Amino acid sequence: MLESLYTPFAALLFPGGLFALALGLTLKGFDRRLAARLQARVGPPLAQPIYDLVKLARKRTMVPDVACEPVFLGAPLIGAVSMALAAALVPIPGFYTPDPVLGDLLVLLYLLTVPAIVLMIAGSASGSPFGAIGFSREMAMMLAYEGPLVLVVAAVAMRTGMGMGGLISFSLTDIVAYQQSHGAFLFDPVMWPALLAFLAFYPANLGIVPFDIPEAETEVLEGPLLEYSGPALGLFKIMSALKAVVVLGLGVALFYPIAPEGAAGLLVQIAKLVLLMLIGVTVVRVSCGRMRIDQAFRFFLKWPLALSVISLAFVALV
Amino acid sequence: MSNFTIPVGPLNVALEEPMYFKVDVHGETVANVDIHAGHVHRGIEYLVTKRNVFQNLVLTERICSLCSNSHPQAYAMAIEQIAGLTVPPRAEYMRVIADEIKRVASHLFNVGVLAHLVGFESLFMHVMEVREMMQDVKESMFGNRMDLGAHVIGGVRFNIDDENIAYLKAQLDRIAPAVAEITHLYRTNGSILGRTRGIGVLSHADAVDCSVVGPVARASGINYDVRVKAPYAAYDRLEVPVHTLSDGDVWSRAIVRLSEVTTAVDILRQCLDNLPAGPTSCTTERPSIPVGEAIGKCEAPRGELIYYVRMTDSPRPERVKWRVPSFMNWDALRIMMKDAKIADIAIIVNSIDPCISCTER
Repeated sequence: MLESLYTPFAALLFPGGLFALALGLTLKGFDRRLAARLQARVGPPLAQPIYDLVKLARKRTMVPDVACEPVFLGAPLIGAVSMALAAALVPIPGFYTPDPVLGDLLVLLYLLTVPAIVLMIAGSASGSPFGAIGFSREMAMMLAYEGPLVLVVAAVAMRTGMGMGGLISFSLTDIVAYQQSHGAFLFDPVMWPALLAFLAFYPANLGIVPFDIPEAETEVLEGPLLEYSGPALGLFKIMSALKAVVVLGLGVALFYPIAPEGAAGLLVQIAKLVLLMLIGVTVVRVSCGRMRIDQAFRFFLKWPLALSVISLAFVALV
Repeated sequence: MSNFTIPVGPLNVALEEPMYFKVDVHGETVANVDIHAGHVHRGIEYLVTKRNVFQNLVLTERICSLCSNSHPQAYAMAIEQIAGLTVPPRAEYMRVIADEIKRVASHLFNVGVLAHLVGFESLFMHVMEVREMMQDVKESMFGNRMDLGAHVIGGVRFNIDDENIAYLKAQLDRIAPAVAEITHLYRTNGSILGRTRGIGVLSHADAVDCSVVGPVARASGINYDVRVKAPYAAYDRLEVPVHTLSDGDVWSRAIVRLSEVTTAVDILRQCLDNLPAGPTSCTTERPSIPVGEAIGKCEAPRGELIYYVRMTDSPRPERVKWRVPSFMNWDALRIMMKDAKIADIAIIVNSIDPCISCTER
């Protein structure tokens, strides 16, 4: 394991920053390609997300007259930077352990809410009515999925903490180490409700069908993103690619961080992310339609919340 | 909750054609809808009076792409009535064939777009793939994917031989099970049901008040189909069941369309089995059209299409007026959208299968 990668390097190059961006764009490429194949289309080349970014980088960013310019342009930057930082917090089992100086699981949870907040700010700063509707939808979605997410993370942290003789441990390093010595939570029946709840969180956080409601193209024309163009839109794409790496990596760390030591660990991690992207994201998004915001809200209050509470109770009692 | 006015259209990804809905929303709920038209006015009603009777057959076909067979059909029927021409039986059957082929493609397109608006892209792709079989039929039998050019005054332009019949039957055998599968999906899939049941409801009384036509009327329980009430072409010799549902929501309209696709496949089979021999047109030369006026009407995929034609002693018609089905269905949108959610606006608009190029010409 590489113990002492110093912080700026971790956030800018590896495993956050550039590396995570390349990985995230590749994941998106796989996603689009498999989705196309499942819909009997040929699909774009694997590098299409990269081409898109290059195209956007060469264009001009238009700022609407009614927009609040500093906020309008600052929002995507904050979003992308926060996700680059978050990527440095996610461990790569067997290869990379984040420096405790950077922060633990709680910091990661906070950082994970930034993209949603940034989209809300962007939507309202753009001055477009669709952005405003996107704002309210994004907020409703966030309220719906944040609760179950926190409970799932708490269940994992408690299981680890209690297994290690304490009560609760929010250190991702501990969570990974505990599972490596005691077996992955993926095969632990007590954790299955939490796992299911976590799988429902993916499409909601990544903004894909059935929960792409804040950005629904046919309803609110991409909502908060409607007024964005050029490099500013590119930054949102970067944010979304990085977010995929972060939340998928978080899933791996929470439920299946079993991996060989050294460079093989990195390869195994990449393979896991691709697999998780295809199963947890692509297959879900091609096999159903979009929910209405009230339906999605009710869904989250019903299933993932119940499952995560059950899981927490299991962990506390068993 | 705040109030907004959001523009839906004139250019909008949810609308295939330009129409402008000014929607006042209160939070996520629609408070009022203003419909503004006039973005694709092409002056065809004027153009028609500047061309002769036979040229107009070509022009009317270009009013709309999805009902491109119904327009020349209704026009030809009106002219034939003025000239007193009797269409030979074979041509009547051929007209039904062209009509039903277009109906299958049009209905599948609308139902597919519904899936797209719900965000169910895979289903959209699948429906379009099935529709492609009918597009292949059009292309190989008529030489065109959209405009069939099937009609002439007094008959039809095309003829089909045994090879065509065998090919069409084979295609129908491929389409029928695929349509049955799609219908089953629309009846059972949670995503579709959750987004379309109870949405955009038009009650029977409102439907009568708005005089809606076509699948929109039939989904609200109005048993009206020109093919049955005022049979034209060979429809009086064919078995044409009318599908009605009573709920009047978006889902009912989709299911009525899908049922009509199944029926259209049946009608096509009946036509192919009973196709009489004989000429495909009553004259080989262009008939002379006397002074007079007439009305022709037929059931376009979207509903009742009426043509009024008045001829004077000029070869050009003095007046041609058509009343398209979408025109009748527009006003019902206000009732359907009352208290709807923003998310459902596009779905509701699509459910009347609006044809803006027909309406505005």
